[in-house]
Amino acid sequence: MSDTDFDVVIAAYLIPDLAQNDFDALVGLVKDKQLTVEGVVLVTNDAGGNVTVKETGDHLGRKGLEIGGGVGLVVGLFAPPLLASVVVGAAAGALAGKFARHRVESGLAEKMGAALPPGSAGIVAIYDRGKTGTVDAALTSAVRKSVAPVDGGGTKKLKAALAEAQAGMGG
Amino acid sequence: MSDEVDRSVLPIRRPPFKGVANQTLGGSEPDWGLIGHVKPPEGAPNILLVLIDDAGFGNPGTFGGPVATPNYDRMAAEGLRYNRFHVTAMCSPTRAALLTGRNHHAVGMGGIPEFSGAFPGYSAMLPRDAAPFPKVLKENGYSTAGIGKWHLTPEGEQGPAGPFTHWPNAWGFDYYWGFLAPEAGQYDTMIAENQKFIGVQDGKDGKPFYFPEAMTDQAIDWLHGVRGHDGQKPWFLYYSTGCSHAPHHVSKEWSAKYKGRFDQGWDRLREETFERQKRLGVVPADAVLTPRNEEMPAWDSLSENSKRLFAHQMEVYAGYSENADHHVGRLLDAVEEMGELDNTVIIWIWGDNGASLEGTPTGTFNEGTMVNGLPLTDEEQMQLALKWGGLEAWGTEMMYPHYSTAWAWAGNTPFQWGKQVASHLGGTRNPMVVRWPAHITDGGGLRSQFTHVTDIGPTILEIAGIPQPAHVDGVGQQPMTGVTFTGSLTDPDAPEHHTQQYFENFGNRAMYQDGWWLSMRMPRTPWRLDPELLKRFAPGVWNPDEDPVELYYLPDDFSQANDLSASHPEKVKELQALFWEEAEKYNIKPLLAGFSPFFGILPPLGSQTTTTYYGDVQNVAPGCVPRVYNHSYTISADLHVPDDGAEGVIVADANHLGGFALFVQDGKLKHTYAFLGVFEYRQESAGELPTGDVNVQMRFAADEAKPATPGAVTLYVNGEQVGGGRMDHTVPFGFSGYSGLDVGRDNGLVVDRGYAGQAPFAFTGTVKKVVFDVAPHFDGKDELALHEHAQQAHTARGINA
Repeated sequence: MSDTDFDVVIAAYLIPDLAQNDFDALVGLVKDKQLTVEGVVLVTNDAGGNVTVKETGDHLGRKGLEIGGGVGLVVGLFAPPLLASVVVGAAAGALAGKFARHRVESGLAEKMGAALPPGSAGIVAIYDRGKTGTVDAALTSAVRKSVAPVDGGGTKKLKAALAEAQAGMGG
Repeated sequence: MSDEVDRSVLPIRRPPFKGVANQTLGGSEPDWGLIGHVKPPEGAPNILLVLIDDAGFGNPGTFGGPVATPNYDRMAAEGLRYNRFHVTAMCSPTRAALLTGRNHHAVGMGGIPEFSGAFPGYSAMLPRDAAPFPKVLKENGYSTAGIGKWHLTPEGEQGPAGPFTHWPNAWGFDYYWGFLAPEAGQYDTMIAENQKFIGVQDGKDGKPFYFPEAMTDQAIDWLHGVRGHDGQKPWFLYYSTGCSHAPHHVSKEWSAKYKGRFDQGWDRLREETFERQKRLGVVPADAVLTPRNEEMPAWDSLSENSKRLFAHQMEVYAGYSENADHHVGRLLDAVEEMGELDNTVIIWIWGDNGASLEGTPTGTFNEGTMVNGLPLTDEEQMQLALKWGGLEAWGTEMMYPHYSTAWAWAGNTPFQWGKQVASHLGGTRNPMVVRWPAHITDGGGLRSQFTHVTDIGPTILEIAGIPQPAHVDGVGQQPMTGVTFTGSLTDPDAPEHHTQQYFENFGNRAMYQDGWWLSMRMPRTPWRLDPELLKRFAPGVWNPDEDPVELYYLPDDFSQANDLSASHPEKVKELQALFWEEAEKYNIKPLLAGFSPFFGILPPLGSQTTTTYYGDVQNVAPGCVPRVYNHSYTISADLHVPDDGAEGVIVADANHLGGFALFVQDGKLKHTYAFLGVFEYRQESAGELPTGDVNVQMRFAADEAKPATPGAVTLYVNGEQVGGGRMDHTVPFGFSGYSGLDVGRDNGLVVDRGYAGQAPFAFTGTVKKVVFDVAPHFDGKDELALHEHAQQAHTARGINA
């Protein structure tokens, strides 16, 4: 497998704390070097309809504030205005991995917000394609999951993959 | 009028003129007795009859359940709890038995009014020889009102053409306000008032409409009106809630009270309820908690996701139920404020049948999926719940939710089964509280006489001092089959009068006599109604006497935990034979007549295949909407579009969880078909609608005439094709149990959420007429097949009510 072959998964949850459990499990796998990710984020939509990036994880399995301003690629997917409410603060800082410094204005946040009704949560992760089974098994409580391949490291490819995964969340 | 009046023949005869009438007033003597009205016997009290829908013995806190019911508690503390009160296991049958004092089959309500079967016990046509007791009260001088759920009018009669002989007024209610349907959304209830649908109402004081609140306001307004008009006249009020039937609609304010309260699951909840029931004494100390049926999963076997979703389902149900208690409390407060509480006999029955098992094991975001036989997995249910708003929306108008089967089972603690299952107490034994302080001296007491819903009428008449009439409107009357339990109000040891009773609903049956109860349950779970399953009950295949039986002796076995059939075969045979005697006497035969469409026994084919609506016809009841299911059909509309264009709904039926709308938006003709909240199909014209007189059409060409057929939609404007698309799934049975069709607007919840912000999105041009053609190109075989399916659909839609 090419070292630029990744999958992006979008997972939606009815119950936010079960999403948190799965997020923790996913990051734990990274930390234990059982999984390689470019980044992972936990998004919540609270009862009032406020979409927030609740937590982030990076390629080293570090979570949230532990990683300071570097919140990983996936946070970058949540372009402004969402980033204004990202709990980890300055998200535009150092990014990791193949997609470093790509701010993908994907509109993913808005679409996630639409797909995630108030009181629910979602996880977005970009991971080494060879670990699809591992990721799938970790996201045990997801109600919907949609996976799309990211063939190559360019922004266009990533945007296309996100669009594909988002489309899979519909219906 | 004195008690010398002959009340055995109704209407009561006008008294003879006792004055003198000369050629002129000179020497004439008036008789003012002519001007008076019939009066009830001296001292006849007010009567308030409260009926909660779809709830179990183990739901209200008053009977040990988890739902806080402070008003029920209060009435029980000042009155009596009856812990061996019985209903039929279904809605309409119980209501018919309640209001007539007669067995449900004897008054034609062995089934449901969505399907009128061609056998006396299943016609859904109240016979004239069974005058309901509200009519008897009315004819004896009571003011009478029915507020809330009705579900006793044949579906095909629920329109302006009537006839109105089966509407609430004809059952003896001076005033009626509520919904005729088997169930209704609580936020967009299609209201009927007396003999007319008045549609979805606005809320008060800028708040959204909410049926439990509105019906209570109506009840209070009616009481105030009556008392303002006549300071003495006794009243009878039948207050029948839509709660706690699905959809479980209640605001978060109520469901949040129960957050985390059901995390222990249904197995543990049953145990907790059972312990409380014993402490309260409503269940004897020696009673045994019956085990879970294998059709329901163990709580511990569920995924964490399922546990959390299911727990929330029950939180909403509990909040919804407590809200019902709250509104009854408001009504009681109003009666008290009028100074009439202690002169009012209150009979409050918590459930017209046991709690409903119809939500399927997963529970559902939209009960319509179950009604239409659409099987959904646990995962799909969760996905669709997410689609329509997640857990936060469970209880809102965005869903039509019903909880998991096993919560209903827990609500029926300590019994087995639930609604529809007439063979067991889970379907047939419900709490009852009676308050009448003038006569009940041991407030808070418990009564354990075997009582039945047919006893309510005779008891009320006896309390009022009114005899059961021998003739009403010139028709000799069937005697009431219920018996009075008035004696038990004052004497805890009063003899038991109701010593024998049959139970039967859709083939599930029981025979009770002198403490013995023979259960004869069909091997069919209430949430399954598929033809494949029903084959085993077909004529010539099914022998009811070969159904498995269970025998219980209730005086020693409150919960039906100890099956004695093996050790008492002679008693089994005796009760089986007795059941057939009762079946003969009360028109129970033929069994499954309410399911006859599933076995090819159909009413004659109708001849009307086109329906024309002139002008803005609104609030067409579901049973009267042209049946567009399972075959090709066309909708054609003649419009006038002003020079500056028009927008809005041309015609719409039901809502986003099942329905269709033909409308104009952004200048384009659009058609949306909501497939039960699972899929939405949308088509639109390529160009804008012209102005002036315009004809638009939506033609659905079914791939073939069969249930749930796919097909193609084509849109036309002035005869030219302007758009279209495929619909891979269509609804086989029905969109909605309560929501109606509207021309020129989309009342209530709308079909396409894209115009929800403009609801009811009234058409800004003119809709001159809309024509439905539901048989544009059938052959005879198709027509018969679809007719059969339509009758099955009527039955299926009503069975869950």
